[in-house]
Amino acid sequence: MHELGLCRNILAIVSEHAGDRPVRRVRVAVGPLACVERPALAFCWGVVTEGTGLAAAELAFVEAEGDTFLIKDYELEEAA
Amino acid sequence: MCGTCGCSDPKNDVALIDPDSGERTVLRQGGILGQGGDHAPGHAHAHGHAHDHAHDHGHAHDHADGHHHHRHDGDDRPHAHGPNGEVISLETAVLAKNDGIAARNRGWFEGRGVLALNLLSSPGAGKTTLLERTIRELGDRVRIDVIEGDQMTANDAERVRAAGARAVQINTGAGCHLEADMVAGAVARLDPAPGTILMIENVGNLVCPAMFDLGEHLKIAVISTTEGEDKPLKYPHIFRACGLVLINKIDLSPHVGFDDAACRANIREIAPEAEIIALSARTGEGFEAWTGWLTARSA
Repeated sequence: MHELGLCRNILAIVSEHAGDRPVRRVRVAVGPLACVERPALAFCWGVVTEGTGLAAAELAFVEAEGDTFLIKDYELEEAA
Repeated sequence: MCGTCGCSDPKNDVALIDPDSGERTVLRQGGILGQGGDHAPGHAHAHGHAHDHAHDHGHAHDHADGHHHHRHDGDDRPHAHGPNGEVISLETAVLAKNDGIAARNRGWFEGRGVLALNLLSSPGAGKTTLLERTIRELGDRVRIDVIEGDQMTANDAERVRAAGARAVQINTGAGCHLEADMVAGAVARLDPAPGTILMIENVGNLVCPAMFDLGEHLKIAVISTTEGEDKPLKYPHIFRACGLVLINKIDLSPHVGFDDAACRANIREIAPEAEIIALSARTGEGFEAWTGWLTARSA
C-alpha cells in the first residue's frame, strides 16, 4: 500500500547522491519482516522513475534479515 | 520526506487543524503524487512539500578529465571511490529521513518529560472512545494532550476536546498513516507541558503505521472483540511493533462469541513481550488496569 511512497524515497536518496551520473542499477536490502512487498515495490519503481534520470535504472533486491530495509548500493553506467 | 502512501491523491494536502481556533495549517502542500515525481539528476530535491532539515552534505563532482573527484562537506555516508561503472555503497535506510525526525521528536519528549504513546488499530476498534474515557477518568490527575490522525474531518479532535483534553487534528488527505514530521508539526502547536501524556491516535489502519516511527515511547495496539481473535495473526507487523495490546469492547464478548484465551494466545504468538489489558471503553470494565498502567508510566 505504501510502496509508491517508499519508491519515491529511494529515488530521492539515490538521485541526490548520484547527482548527474547515470545509474544502471539500485540494490535494496529487504528483510522478511520489513513490511515491504517486493513485486509492488518493483512495479512502483517503474512508475516513479519514469521521466527522471533514473528511468533506465533497474531495481534489484538483496536478501536481508529481520525488518531491514536499506538502499544497499547503486551501480553507475560505464563511461561512454 | 516523501513517504506517503501509494494511495495518495494529489488534490489532498496534509493539514493540521486546531479545533480551539479552527485554524487550518497545511503541513505538506499538494500531496505527493502531484509534484513528487520531479527527481531529475542534478535537481537534488524537488519534493512537493517543505523540508525542515538542511541539506548540509554538499557533494560536488567533477568529471571533466575522466577522473572522479569528490568534495565532501560533512558527508559521512560510506561510499567507494573509483572510476565510472563503480558500485557505490549507500547502506542508507529508506526511511532515514522519517527516522531522523522521529529521533528528534523522541529526544524532545524525553527532555520535556512527555510520555508519547502511538495508538494503532483498525478503524472502529474504539481508539477515540478509549481516549474520551481515559481523559474523563484521569483528567484531574494527569494532563493528557492528543494528536488525532485521520484522512478527513476534525471530528475526533473535537470529541477528545469535549472530553477535556487539548487536541489537534492532523488530516493526512489520502495518506494512510502518520509520519514523524506531521507529529513534529502538531507538537509544535500543542507544546505539551512537562509531565503530559501525549496520545497520538494514528490513522485507523493495521498495515502502514507499523513502519513509521513517530518518536513515541511505545506503540499500543487496540483490538476489539467484534473484530475476531485472529487479527494479530492477520496483521502481524502492527502487533509485533507494540508493547501493549488493549482488547476493547469486552462488554460485547458474549454477544459476538469472542474467545478471549484464543485472542491472547494469538497476541503472544506474534508479540510475546507485549502486555495485554482487556477492557471496555464504553462500560469502564477493566479500565483501572489501563489507567493504572498509564499513571505508573507518567509519574
